[in-house]
Amino acid sequence: MLLEPRLRARLERLALGVRGRVTAQWAGRHSSTRLGESLDFADYRPYQPGDDYRRIDHNLRARLGVVMVRQFEAEQELPIEVVVDLSGSMGLYGKDRSARRLAAMVAYMGLAAGDRVRLWSIPGDGGRPDAQGPSGRHLSAWPQLEGWLETRPVQGAGSLRHLGRRLAGSGGSVVVVSDLLMEEWSEVLDGLASAAGGLVLHLLAHEELDPHLAGDLELVDAESGQKVAISTSEDVMREYRRTVEEFALAAARRSRRAGLDYLLVQAGEGEAERALEGLARREVVR
Amino acid sequence: MRFLVPAALGLAALAGPLVVLYMLRSKRRTQPVASTLLWRQVGEPVSSAVPWRPLKFTMLLLLQLLILVLFVLSLARPFAAEATVLGPHTVFVLDTSGSMAMADRFEQARQAALNMAMDVSDANLASVVEAGPDPRVLVAFSGDGEAVAEAIRSLRPGGGVEDMSTAVRLARGLAAPDRATTVVIFSDGGQVPLSEEPVIGATHLIFDDRAANLAISGFDAEPSAEGAARVFIQVQNHGPDDRDVTVSFEVDELPGGSVDMTVPGLDVSRQVVPVAAGPGSTLTARLTGTSDALPLDDQADLVIGGGAARTVAVSGQGSPYLTALLGSTPGIVLIDEPAGADLHIVDGGPLPEIDRPTWLLRTESTPEGLELQGLERNLAVTFSRPGDPVLDGVDLSEVVIAEAQATESITWLPLASSGSTPLILLGEVNGHRVVYTTFDLVHSNLPVQVAFPILGANLLQWLGGGEAGSVSTEPAGAPISLVTPTGSRARVTLPGGELREVASDAGSFLDTDQPGIYRVEYVDESGTVTPGQVAVRRFVTTESSGPAREISVAAGPGGEGEEAFLIREWAPWVIAAALALMAFEWWVAHQRPGLGWRRQEVTS
Repeated sequence: MLLEPRLRARLERLALGVRGRVTAQWAGRHSSTRLGESLDFADYRPYQPGDDYRRIDHNLRARLGVVMVRQFEAEQELPIEVVVDLSGSMGLYGKDRSARRLAAMVAYMGLAAGDRVRLWSIPGDGGRPDAQGPSGRHLSAWPQLEGWLETRPVQGAGSLRHLGRRLAGSGGSVVVVSDLLMEEWSEVLDGLASAAGGLVLHLLAHEELDPHLAGDLELVDAESGQKVAISTSEDVMREYRRTVEEFALAAARRSRRAGLDYLLVQAGEGEAERALEGLARREVVR
Repeated sequence: MRFLVPAALGLAALAGPLVVLYMLRSKRRTQPVASTLLWRQVGEPVSSAVPWRPLKFTMLLLLQLLILVLFVLSLARPFAAEATVLGPHTVFVLDTSGSMAMADRFEQARQAALNMAMDVSDANLASVVEAGPDPRVLVAFSGDGEAVAEAIRSLRPGGGVEDMSTAVRLARGLAAPDRATTVVIFSDGGQVPLSEEPVIGATHLIFDDRAANLAISGFDAEPSAEGAARVFIQVQNHGPDDRDVTVSFEVDELPGGSVDMTVPGLDVSRQVVPVAAGPGSTLTARLTGTSDALPLDDQADLVIGGGAARTVAVSGQGSPYLTALLGSTPGIVLIDEPAGADLHIVDGGPLPEIDRPTWLLRTESTPEGLELQGLERNLAVTFSRPGDPVLDGVDLSEVVIAEAQATESITWLPLASSGSTPLILLGEVNGHRVVYTTFDLVHSNLPVQVAFPILGANLLQWLGGGEAGSVSTEPAGAPISLVTPTGSRARVTLPGGELREVASDAGSFLDTDQPGIYRVEYVDESGTVTPGQVAVRRFVTTESSGPAREISVAAGPGGEGEEAFLIREWAPWVIAAALALMAFEWWVAHQRPGLGWRRQEVTS
């Protein structure tokens, strides 16, 4: 079980905020980029044969002598694309468990709000860059989504480049749960700009934020196997911590420039609750 | 700083490899990380291709270098050489004569000896000889400093005259062929030169503090009618100032009156005092109302009447002087028949059979063990045996002799001599004490000397010593002769009240250094106690002045200019410091963050 009942009960009262208009297939409760049948007035246009008589604005015709029909906002569902990074780098320090919980938290919140939630993971199976998971629009789909999240293996090297291109302009909200420890992290964030915004949950472990290493070491990359020889010293460790801080700040700036909300989450016990509080403070969830 | 094993200092070269170890990069451990992306971006150079790095003097390196230095030092065995009189074998000769009780002489000597005993070890053996009236060896060839110290602590000054010559001979006898022996004499030096001065291979540590002293230098009592006694008391002032003093008397440990006396400086004061005491009573005189540097001579004891009288018979030509002597000596009854006498005096004539204590005055032939060599004329006394109780209070320096026999003996003890010619000898024939005088009394001026009645009384007392019921008054240190009946054992009550058992085969009791009254008892197998003789031991008056002199010593063969050293090794302290530093280094390496090259990882 990824989410405790108490947390699920809390998530059922919340929903992911939307910065802009969504572009979706099904009606929902979010403002759409299209015009539709809602009660919110959008615009006028000249009457054309075939238009619904009930939308003719007779007051306007009486004042101006032109026949115009009223147009209304459309309300559509919010497609939420939840991308969880399960590459090799997430296999250390319990980050994959935290990533699954954060992805589950967002997915459950979306399902509870009636939004269409679809799960993605990187990398995919059989050498493919990504894997598409199940989707759903109601909480009835939660067991399927939870089962998929729980069983996805941590494997290989992951890249968001392909999936980013695929999800760019999808019209929904893209939620990325990743440590962003990949060469192309900045261009992926640039490419994830979405009309309905999105969210980057930047997941790093305490051992990555403030490592306690000593002596002469050969660091081995969990994904690429690449090795870096270091000789620790106070100066080196101070420089590393400065680099991590700059990395997180750059990720935050890139995310906001792409219209995405950003939250740095430290992996570990209670990470979902901490993330939820951070998102609430930023009014990303309401 | 000097080293017993200086070659071990070469191990300090191990500091080189230790420093090299710090300069070499250790084999890198593999540490998996999520990504090396960020580590590659670290601006600070994180690694180097060369296998060494510049040396950084960390606290750990300094501590380890210091520990190495300390261990190398401990292996080199640093030591400090302290000059000492201790040699491979040192004999401590401690003077316990009466004069050592003056001021703090003996305490200082004992403390000095105890300080030296702290350095006794298996490499520096020690023996202890008590130089009292009867010198004895207390500890021999001991490497146990505590045993040596215990023997030294058991000593205390008595009231007699030290026999330093015998003590030094005893010390010489302890010499071992495989160890150089040093004799250290803790003494005030006494007043009579040793027979073998200068003492070869010896060191004399002199203790000659002195202070004003009042002493009872004469004490006697003559019973008179109706249970009273006339007590003669003489107090000598060894200080320059006049002193007032009260002499208190105790009769059988009960107050018996007192008398006040004023004693001029460097002079004596005498009084005759009637005291209510009868024959057989013990009489104690004690100086009160004053304190001085030598408390031991502030008290004197005697037994009034001297116990049962002895019978003396004189044979040979005899002389008026002899008759006068016997008539004036208390406790002596003159009889005609030698067969019934306790003592026999033979004045010239043929040598009789010795069957009782006998005083021989120039007989025609000499007794057993004494070989007659001829005659010597015009002699003066040049040697008086120092400290001998028979000569206590006897001054023979004015005695001249017209003619005396020249004798030789190795078994007789010369009491007084003129050069190599013995004049008065003490010996034993057929189990009986014998005094042999090699000159005729009338051929000398001895009978007209003050010393004659004292010497005669002392000789008669010596001849009659050891008999049950008798009282002998002699200087402290003189042995008490025991006449232990068959099947009994003797025990002696000391002046302090201590009861001392005596071995059944002992012929005399020697531990009489302390002045006072000694009571002998004989206990048979059934436990019946029979009183024996009473012996009074007096403080020797010549010790009261606190004589002191430096004993002449000389370096031993090959010992000229050779200084003895005591080696004090520092290794235990150095090792302790190294272990303490090791503990500190361990704490620094394991507890202080950021310093531990041994601290491999904290990540988990």
